[in-house]
Amino acid sequence: MKVNHRLLRGATLTATGASAARRRLPKLNLRLKLGITILTVFVLASFILPFFTSVDPSRQGTYLKNLPISGRHLLGTNSQGQSIFWFLVFAIRNSLMLGVVVSLCITAIATLVGLSAGYIGGWYERVAMLIIDSFITIPVLPILIVLGALVRGNSSFMLVGVILVAFGWAWGARTVRSMALSLREREFINMARFSGASTFAIITREIFPYVYSYMVVGFINTILFAINTEAALAVIGLSKVEVPTLGSIIFWALSYNALFIGQITWLVAPIVATVLLFLGLFLTSTGYNDAFATRRGVA
Amino acid sequence: MIRLNNVVGTYTTQRGTVNAVEDVSLEIPRGITLGIAGESGCGKSTLMKVLYGDLGFPLALSSGSVDYGFRDEHGQAVTSQNIQKEWFKRISYIPQSSMSSLNPVVRIRDQFVDFPSTSKNKAQVLELVRSYVQKLGLPPESIDAYAHQLSGGMRQRIMVAMATFFRPEIILADEPTTALDVVVQKGILLLLMEVQQEMKNTIVLVSHDMGVHYQITHKMLIMYAAKAVEYADTDAVFGQPLHPYTLMLTNSLPTIGDDRARQGLPGHPPSLWNPPQGCRFAPRCPLATDRCRVHEPPLVEHQPGHFSACHYAENVPELKASLDQAPKLSDIVENAPMFSDIVGSALKVDEVAQ
Repeated sequence: MKVNHRLLRGATLTATGASAARRRLPKLNLRLKLGITILTVFVLASFILPFFTSVDPSRQGTYLKNLPISGRHLLGTNSQGQSIFWFLVFAIRNSLMLGVVVSLCITAIATLVGLSAGYIGGWYERVAMLIIDSFITIPVLPILIVLGALVRGNSSFMLVGVILVAFGWAWGARTVRSMALSLREREFINMARFSGASTFAIITREIFPYVYSYMVVGFINTILFAINTEAALAVIGLSKVEVPTLGSIIFWALSYNALFIGQITWLVAPIVATVLLFLGLFLTSTGYNDAFATRRGVA
Repeated sequence: MIRLNNVVGTYTTQRGTVNAVEDVSLEIPRGITLGIAGESGCGKSTLMKVLYGDLGFPLALSSGSVDYGFRDEHGQAVTSQNIQKEWFKRISYIPQSSMSSLNPVVRIRDQFVDFPSTSKNKAQVLELVRSYVQKLGLPPESIDAYAHQLSGGMRQRIMVAMATFFRPEIILADEPTTALDVVVQKGILLLLMEVQQEMKNTIVLVSHDMGVHYQITHKMLIMYAAKAVEYADTDAVFGQPLHPYTLMLTNSLPTIGDDRARQGLPGHPPSLWNPPQGCRFAPRCPLATDRCRVHEPPLVEHQPGHFSACHYAENVPELKASLDQAPKLSDIVENAPMFSDIVGSALKVDEVAQ
């Protein structure tokens, strides 16, 4: 018994030692490193640079129209007399803020509804699923176009966010619910209940750690969804186009025929920025998945 | 003392209701280890659930009561109605599958302090947990690990540690050593016995392994088709059983040096949907008469502390003697020369081993 015991002790020492080391130094893979770098540059640039200008980038006629790229106007000016560079900086900031806020709301709602529906079950689950499934089956873009047409020009930036949340939470909720559904039948959930844990404690302390890494990835993907959908709406003129966002730049560039009047940067700059931002988010999400979610054997 | 009064555990299903535990009355003295044995579907686990107070749909305690023999903090007697508040404080449960009873994505220590903590100071509690775990034969740093980093035996030790941390009066263990190898089994059982010696708690143990029962239980309850058929000291259950089912059950166990031919028990346990009138064991019982098929025998005390539900309990020792007369393998071998070489050499090896 004693020898055995010492062997066991040695085995755990190495096991916990390894896990402690892993916790101290999470192994960042190339994708995660690249993604985080891109995101950091975008976030820092778009949130710090606005402090260095006193000009409202969306005001028309601040500068001369259609100036070429120069030291004073890094990306030139557009046909409305705005600095493309500053417009872009504010656009990235607004798009990111919208994406993060919308994604936070969507992830919170999806997790709350999904976990409770999956774990509590019964009639509550049936009602929740009815609502979730309805929202999943409603095609988002046509509805948004109709809504946009109704409030054309008068929609506030806030309203766009609310609409995105309303149509974005259902998929996540359904996925989380199916995870909770399978977890509910696991023995350790039973054990937690047997130890006197309340339903709330079981959801937050037993099930949540299990779905947490999925949710981080979901959160990043939802930022993508929010930015993407807002841009799509803006391009066809259904968002609040006066507010600089990645989509609204493209809207204005298209409506002033930027491509034909030689204002290439007006159109190309926001497209490159959008693609880079998406790349950063995508690399972070897949990289995170690789680095952390599989760490404890949870795919 | 835990007192069960005519406990009936009923499952509600789409086909109707079925009594998985029927009319069980028991008195379990404080500080003993009670073993519950019987075949699959006889109601062992349901009785455990009822005892633990895990009474949620589809299981219900449709009649009878359980009195745990202690009072809660408001001075009220604890029964099935309010035992849930005492879970893991005064009554705890050691599960069957230690492999899956720990959350794989949460460190052991965080699962430990998940339990209703009596102190706000987490570091202090963790220190207590560490020293307690060490006392149970685990390295203290094992609580920093995830479940998959521990072996099966260590995980079961962790479960024992969690279940006994608050020094509960009652510990229910539902097949605590299934899926563990014999060496680890022994370790866990010894650990349970040590814990009991120190804390004087009552342990109720369900197991299919009669050897486990023989080694560690003080009293045994034998169940058959949702009924308690025999309740006695473990030595009496193995030595002088007073119910034919118990006899057949213990008689099926092989022992070293005993080469009597063994007879299986023909038939199957009855369906609980439609249990037979009279004694439920009658269709398979060698002692059964018409009386058994009509009148159900109650669980009565035939000898001091020895309860049996059989009309012919006094005839069981006779039956046992006749089973002991069963032909021996060595006799059969002499009459069948074809196999004598093989079996004979096997017997010789056996002699050498002895």
